[in-house]
Amino acid sequence: MKNSSKLGGMITLSLLCFLAAACIGSVAIPAKEALAVIAQRLFGISLLRDVEPLTQTIVWDLRLARASLAFLVGASLAVSGTVMQSVLRNPLASSYTLGVSSGASLGAALIIISGFSLPIVGAFTLPLAGLLTGLLTVYLAVAMASRVDKGFSGNTIVLTGMVFTLFVNALLTLVAYFFPNRTRHILLWQMGSFALKDWGTVRVLLPIAIVGLLFLMRYARELDMLTFGEEQAAVMGVETRRVKWILMFLAAALTGSAVSFAGVIGFIDLISPHVVRRWVGAAHRWVLPLSALFGGSFMVLADIVARTVISPTELPVGAITALLGGPFFLYVYFQKRRRY
Amino acid sequence: MLTLDQVYCGYDSEDVIRNVSFRVKEGDILCLLGPNGCGKTTLLKAIAGLLPYKGYLRWLGQEIHTLKRNQLAAGIALMSQISETYFEYSVYDTVMLGRYLHGKKGFLPSISDEDRVMVRKALEEVELWREREHPITQLSGGQLQRVFLARTFVQEPKLILLDEPTNHLDLKYQLELMERLSVWSKQPGRAVIGVFHDLNLAMQFAEKVIILDQGQVVLQGPTGQVLQDSMISKVFDVDVLNYMQSSLKKWLPPLEGNDSR
Repeated sequence: MKNSSKLGGMITLSLLCFLAAACIGSVAIPAKEALAVIAQRLFGISLLRDVEPLTQTIVWDLRLARASLAFLVGASLAVSGTVMQSVLRNPLASSYTLGVSSGASLGAALIIISGFSLPIVGAFTLPLAGLLTGLLTVYLAVAMASRVDKGFSGNTIVLTGMVFTLFVNALLTLVAYFFPNRTRHILLWQMGSFALKDWGTVRVLLPIAIVGLLFLMRYARELDMLTFGEEQAAVMGVETRRVKWILMFLAAALTGSAVSFAGVIGFIDLISPHVVRRWVGAAHRWVLPLSALFGGSFMVLADIVARTVISPTELPVGAITALLGGPFFLYVYFQKRRRY
Repeated sequence: MLTLDQVYCGYDSEDVIRNVSFRVKEGDILCLLGPNGCGKTTLLKAIAGLLPYKGYLRWLGQEIHTLKRNQLAAGIALMSQISETYFEYSVYDTVMLGRYLHGKKGFLPSISDEDRVMVRKALEEVELWREREHPITQLSGGQLQRVFLARTFVQEPKLILLDEPTNHLDLKYQLELMERLSVWSKQPGRAVIGVFHDLNLAMQFAEKVIILDQGQVVLQGPTGQVLQDSMISKVFDVDVLNYMQSSLKKWLPPLEGNDSR
């Protein structure tokens, strides 16, 4: 099967995940009613006459808003993981390795304990603080790596990132220790959830995800070359130092914005690139869009499970991604290699 | 084309290459020889612009360190020793990366017909066109070497730097590669610098040889002249010429005229 056909198949699968998210929940909604609501809201076409207003609210304002956010978060994390693994030439690397989640958690924790709110951004103060502290942590880690290692090697960046992650985690522990009455709030934020999110959040995250993905697609060939090592990329004409900075910033911004709105959700960034590479090969012009679609769809499905498996109680979606993703990843990764 | 004048370079402010000077002209096939750790690879990296240096290192009249990466890559290609490959690129995609400089940049980079023709030609020449869809992670060392050679050629450089290019190749491909480099280097504005361990290959194909020892040039000149010099035995700590002659005697049948002796 050609990669373009696989991309088409993955787009179809993603749309089916959205439909499933619209239909499945504490109130089951038939697919034709869900489709009618979607057609009405997106294209102004009336497919069915008598769809109740409550059904419309459940499908559009609750479930699809939530599924869209889950999709964007999953896609951002997956794409970010793809980029970090390739830039750092490390199959276990992700933005989390460089301290995005720790930094974002610390920023969020500081906002939670202080109750601080910026006048213009209001409710978005917490995600904004999370994003900025997450990016700052990555910047400091990468800048430090760049100073200590003139070659700017992936291993140095990973090691410095891990040191920064541990350092920031220690600060977070101290914050939690000195403010025990806020610990539960901080912990819940870290666990990750799409509950009580609306289209407003989607409208903020959508342009970030689209612009991030487009810019990364622009660097698809440079990413390909970096996977062969910095020296090989350089002799083929890539300004490796500058390109690595740009790619790591874009990846960290995608993860940072996803984490800021949905909390720390692991595993998607690790498994999506590996699964997609097994399927379509390693060329980033295919791996990037397919990782986005796979990561997004996987997150939508994980969220359906998180909110329905012991309904009405919701499970942390981060736990579900790891529980579902672990066995699935092992199955795909250790499957017999393709024969030629 | 390339001028090195009193070049020093190395790692972490320790000079591995010391006071090296030589010139490369159009059509040259220059062989760098020397014992392990003498600085051959370091020198190639400096020429490729991968290491900082002191002294004068000029490509077409311009100092290497003043050139941007794309300007350098348009003139100089380096095929280094095979490193570990983690990702399953196809043979075709790997060679296509060599066309990076020639391709259009943009949000959806496209591949031109010229790129496709170049890649196909290069893969046919290294006899890997049939394997073009194979992932490179499943290739042998020799096949991988040929993939990277094809990638170097499609880059269309003027100077090719080769770091032990025949390491994983069997005899047939070694000879074919050297023949190809000879033909390639004789076209206007081209030259080759290679690090070879095989003195026979160096003797057969290189026109000039530079012997490095402990980061310094100890001998340079026409191949036949340099390889006969007594200094070479000192550098390699082996009587090279006698070794080569005895190897040849062992493997070649005695000549007819020698039977009576």
